[in-house]
Amino acid sequence: MSSGIWFPVANTSDLPHRHVFQGRLEGRELAIWRADDGHVNIWENRCLHRGVRLSIGTNTGAELVCQYHGWRYANRSAGCTYIPAHPADAPARTVRNRTFPVLERYGLVWTHFSENTPAEPQPVGQYDDLTLRPIPIGAPGKLVWEFLSDHWDPGLGLAASDDLSYSNGTATLKLFLQPADSNRTIVRGLFNHQEADYDRGQVLLHLNTVLSELRTRIENEAARRPAPEPLIPAYVPVSAELAAMPERSVQTGMIRVHVARKTSAGEGVCSLELTPVSGTLPSFQPGAHIDISLPNGLTRQYSLINSPLETDRYIIGVKRENPSQGGSEVIHDTVREGDLLAISEPRNNFPLRRDAESTLFIAGGIGITPLLSMSAALNNQNLDFAFHYFTQNRAQRAFPERLDLLGSRLTSHLNLSPQQTSAEIAGILASPSADRQVYICGPGPMLDAARSIAEKQGWDEKAIHFEYFKNTREIDDSSSFEIALARSAMTLQVPAGQTILSVLRENGVDMPASCQQGACGTCLATVLEGEPDHQDVYLSRSEKDRGDRILTCISRAKSKRLVLDV
Amino acid sequence: MIRLFDFDLSGNCYKVRLLLAFLGLEYEKTNIDYYPGRQHRTDAFLRINPLGQLPVIEDGDYRLRDAQAILVYLAHKYDHGGNWYPTDNPDLIGEISQWLAFADQLTTTASAARLESAMFFELDGDAARAGAHKLFRILDAHLWFREDAGADWICSADEPTIADIACFPYVALSEEGGVSREDYPAIRRWLDRVKRIPGFCVMPGVFPAGPAV
Amino acid sequence: MANQWYPLASVEETAVGRVHRTRLFGEPIAYAKDTAGTLTAWRCTGSQQPGSDPSTALPVIARYGYIWATIGTPDGDIFPIPEYGEADRRNVAAGTIGVQVSAQRAVENFLDMGHFPFVHTGILGQEPHTEVKEYNVAVSQDGREILATECLFYQPMASTVSTSGADVEYTYRVPHPTCSVLYKSSPLDEKRLDVIAIFCQPTGHETLRGHMMLSILDDVNTDDFIRNFQLHIFGQDKPILENQFPKRLPLEPRAETPIRADKTSIVYRRWLSQHGVTYGVIPASEQVNTP
Repeated sequence: MSSGIWFPVANTSDLPHRHVFQGRLEGRELAIWRADDGHVNIWENRCLHRGVRLSIGTNTGAELVCQYHGWRYANRSAGCTYIPAHPADAPARTVRNRTFPVLERYGLVWTHFSENTPAEPQPVGQYDDLTLRPIPIGAPGKLVWEFLSDHWDPGLGLAASDDLSYSNGTATLKLFLQPADSNRTIVRGLFNHQEADYDRGQVLLHLNTVLSELRTRIENEAARRPAPEPLIPAYVPVSAELAAMPERSVQTGMIRVHVARKTSAGEGVCSLELTPVSGTLPSFQPGAHIDISLPNGLTRQYSLINSPLETDRYIIGVKRENPSQGGSEVIHDTVREGDLLAISEPRNNFPLRRDAESTLFIAGGIGITPLLSMSAALNNQNLDFAFHYFTQNRAQRAFPERLDLLGSRLTSHLNLSPQQTSAEIAGILASPSADRQVYICGPGPMLDAARSIAEKQGWDEKAIHFEYFKNTREIDDSSSFEIALARSAMTLQVPAGQTILSVLRENGVDMPASCQQGACGTCLATVLEGEPDHQDVYLSRSEKDRGDRILTCISRAKSKRLVLDV
Repeated sequence: MIRLFDFDLSGNCYKVRLLLAFLGLEYEKTNIDYYPGRQHRTDAFLRINPLGQLPVIEDGDYRLRDAQAILVYLAHKYDHGGNWYPTDNPDLIGEISQWLAFADQLTTTASAARLESAMFFELDGDAARAGAHKLFRILDAHLWFREDAGADWICSADEPTIADIACFPYVALSEEGGVSREDYPAIRRWLDRVKRIPGFCVMPGVFPAGPAV
Repeated sequence: MANQWYPLASVEETAVGRVHRTRLFGEPIAYAKDTAGTLTAWRCTGSQQPGSDPSTALPVIARYGYIWATIGTPDGDIFPIPEYGEADRRNVAAGTIGVQVSAQRAVENFLDMGHFPFVHTGILGQEPHTEVKEYNVAVSQDGREILATECLFYQPMASTVSTSGADVEYTYRVPHPTCSVLYKSSPLDEKRLDVIAIFCQPTGHETLRGHMMLSILDDVNTDDFIRNFQLHIFGQDKPILENQFPKRLPLEPRAETPIRADKTSIVYRRWLSQHGVTYGVIPASEQVNTP
């Protein structure tokens, strides 16, 4: 494999709006596509799931959708954002296509496969005029090079001046050989003229003709020689975790981000736009949240409000709490544009199904944040939804410019008493349907009311999804009990005043966790034996009744012993 | 009502289905089991078309065979805008006829390769593939220079014509016959553009394009 | 794998008195049907006329409307499909299509429900109804057969009497390395099941002839309508299969990314490994591990 060289693999004009270009370099197939934001992606031309060429998929402007099973891969990160066969799951973010470096220079798109490659393609001089029509030749690169070097005359008075360069004093021609495969070479070229008023169409046509004629001669010669075996690219194996279908992924890495913008997003709400310090941000699913490590040492969770298709940044909305427990106040008063913050990779414990005939969103106050991202995802796929937003007054509605995008699908409910709110929610949830999914996020009392209304009206519990942003219930941590870890073969004691999670961590057992108050669901574990004492707001009533899962950050045991699948 | 004697996997029948779809015309289909049943060789079908070829249409008492002829007839009769087959410009009529003949050559090459490798017709598949690549090189260069001049379609009209429809199916189905389109980026972009013409319909072997907006 | 029967062609579509040539495991072979309906098959050796040398004769039988032959020594008959013998069923040899991919890739696609809304849009599935619900999959005690049961998938126009969509239940059997049989509730009689089978003839490591067979309860549609429908479905799968890489089925678990919906294919790949299959697959031990 050649190292240290950038190769052109497409012309800029090969990447028109919403197209996926099929390319090849050194036997490896590439899917090359430009997103609506202008970013060019060069990916291995192979869906990670079942090996289907991504170039037969569709470019939706911000995602590439595989033709076989509709897996959606995000612009930039190439991370899978949605697996339609499992609409209730958030795909592990590590399902990520192989990407290659991209540069767009001189009307050509360049890449390389080697780590030891300079940051830029070799400079070729002043070329901003014409990019030639590429000529694929069925011959090895060496043979093509020999023919070109052997007194090939491009016409137009151009004479060879340097390796694959030709000049006539006022005009220059530079050719590049793209080694597509052992027996396929693509000739790409640039042309520049010092005078502005030459006939560019004539030049393009002429060079196309002479190169096509040269191609015939080279291919005739190649046909007389034994054809080399095609190069067989090796595919990088997926990680063992992915091959084993994990229930959920454990992520521990922190990402460093800049606060690119800090703006007001409604009364008492500020918005932070976070961009990566280096590289690309992991893709996320609608409903996902991040942990932010704040300058005062606290860690707080915030939902991402932007569309998963906005892959260049994360946006959060933070409401000033009164009294603040130290999170919102720091963000409002201390964090400034340009600051550096450490955040976790996005986690999604509030996944959005996209297989419903229609979807209902019900938001209260700052609870709108995950639902904004969800509605943007449905909007992008032209899926039907309605959005209800409850606030004290119009000024308190967060992210008004994003609300405007919802158009007639948004209903704002202003200044209602708790009783009036319940009555409105009862109306919204009046007709339970198997074809509809409901997502509700807001203050605890509103969610509790909605939960009991939905139950009374006969909604299937699986169709109603809640996200509490905090657990306001009183926690009783007075019990003490024993936990047995089935996989780690350990038995540990949980004393009063300590949580299962803290005991696990003290004993070196790795368990992901985020909010640590029984609201987000990150620290979920499977219970094999024993009766849990649920104190969270994450699990639904029937999930609690089944007793086979527990949030280890807050819930405890009613029995003397719990056996956990940890 | 127009009646189409049709075979689902036939690219030539697909040409007619495409134009009927673009024009929004209703029609009835009579399925002729070309493969595996070889019903186009039965006495009953040879009475409809003595050449034993699909498609054939009947429009009232009028019967017509040959995909290209049918496109000319349907466009001239039913496309009141006159964009699919403009007849007021001699140069354009000549161009369209030239590319309709090119489409026929695609049938004897790209389509033959597909019949050989997918349906086991006793044809010379390698010769058919080599012939298809020759045509594709010509078409790709033509389309590249059309694009460079800011034009989207095969003929020098602002709107697509029946030449685009006639050339589309066997180019779009070529990989089933082992004719890769990897070397023809301008052809691939043109396929996307045809797929985005309002009213476009697919057939097995042809995927839809993604949303244009 | 060599000691199995493989389908060559539909008995009915095979013209009488002619020698037909095809391939099995890359080897050229020939078959014929005489006026009495007797079937014969041979290995083609050198430039000899097929059949002139009796030592090249291959065992041949007719089952399920197809001619089957073997280049090895099968330890019994072809796997049973008991429904095929039921008097009120329509048995249709629904056609043969060539696909440039390994036979096992085609079988795996046949076992897959998740692609219905994307590949067979409006027929076997329809967005947004994309969920593959939990189902069961097991290998029979004698290890001969894989069985996936209680497979539910949403189908638009689920029956001939209704225009609305509903979940349809499927059962899949894999009784042979390159054949699969599926059972699906009959639109006419909900207590009985329609049978749709794919019999793949591995003509090479990376090429196959797919032979389709239906045994269904249907007293309305003509045979060629049924054939046409089945060709339509297979014609939609063909370009997907021909765009899969590598063309041979990789048996190394880390070669691709399975999800829960792919349970049957996970078991199928493992089962092929356990049976020591090497033709048309990339065995787990050969997987290249570095870029």
